[in-house]
Amino acid sequence: MSDIGDPTPKTPAPLDPLLRLGGEDLVRHLRETLDRAAHLAGALSDALSRISPQQPQESEPAFQERLRAAEADSHDLASRLVESENQLGRLMNLYVATYQLHAVPDPAQVRATIADIAVNLLGAQQFVLLLRRDEAPGCEVALREGWKDPAEQPLYAEDTYTGGDPQVDETLLDGTLKLGPFHNSPALAVVPLKFQQEVLGVLVLLNLFPHRPPLRADDRELLDLLSAHAASALLAARLFAAKDRRLKTLESLIRLARPE
Amino acid sequence: MLLCSVSELSTVLVVDDSALMHRVYEVMLRDRPMLHAHDGDEALRLIDQRSDIGLVLLDINMPTVSGFEVLDRLRAAGRVPGLAVIVITTEGRDEEAARGVAAGAAAYLTKPFRSEQIRETIARIEARSAS
Repeated sequence: MSDIGDPTPKTPAPLDPLLRLGGEDLVRHLRETLDRAAHLAGALSDALSRISPQQPQESEPAFQERLRAAEADSHDLASRLVESENQLGRLMNLYVATYQLHAVPDPAQVRATIADIAVNLLGAQQFVLLLRRDEAPGCEVALREGWKDPAEQPLYAEDTYTGGDPQVDETLLDGTLKLGPFHNSPALAVVPLKFQQEVLGVLVLLNLFPHRPPLRADDRELLDLLSAHAASALLAARLFAAKDRRLKTLESLIRLARPE
Repeated sequence: MLLCSVSELSTVLVVDDSALMHRVYEVMLRDRPMLHAHDGDEALRLIDQRSDIGLVLLDINMPTVSGFEVLDRLRAAGRVPGLAVIVITTEGRDEEAARGVAAGAAAYLTKPFRSEQIRETIARIEARSAS
């Protein structure tokens, strides 16, 4: 029989140690894991094909027991392979989303990336991004996507959101990610953009594309990442823009002060 | 009938206005040579200039020149089905997929997709091309 490795079922590796690896290393590590799993599955399949039920000398209880064990191993490997593939896909999305959020320190670009993540990675058809105003009550409706008729989402029809959706209002206060569906809100998920203890705003997912399955626990990792990284990327971009404005002002003053 | 000739060595041209999606493809298909276009005009220019492009991942929802317009122009120029085009759409509507395939696309995918979905789709196209 071919070497099929340790048949003891193992649970998939937890995500935390893997997340500490760099993005490229992480993807390489997972690829290698998948290759190993595929190799083991192939070896097991070869072994099973060689154990033919037609061989009379092998049709004893011991053989049946071995066959059952091999089939169980095969199923276990197949499910581990699927789980690894799913984990790889989720980690790829997390890596790409993080990378892109911090790629350009420009507030408009960060907002565009948040919209990109919502559409392309989360499959959101309708969503709104609310950002707290610095010196005024309420939130700026920084992005609204997926509908044209303001009556369709009247709470977000104006430039400022002043409250009205209990789940959104609560998230703005407590900074906790909320996954719907909710009985008192049209939102499917409310994602706080949170830096340390400060809630800078929220991303409200209102509808998913029809072909997209409902949000599941798996999606929570990406939503959690969005919650932390979108906020820090936005804050960094705002600070960078403010510093850039100040620098330009100072340069202008220096040019004015210099003798011709 | 599929006439495209695409293999693992062919350069993949990614056509998408989203920087995020370019990065997604880079990670998902990191073992393949890849070129990037951020709009339809740039894509058509690259396809004219580069003979090593064998596969195009074409986003449908792009400003100015949409993916369908790119596909129509490629068909008018006789470049498809020789060039394998995978239409990528967010909408997931059957009529969009049918329109893409009627216009000469080899396959279509709806976003969000997993890496194995795109790898399997490409493998199917390569297998058909080789047979």
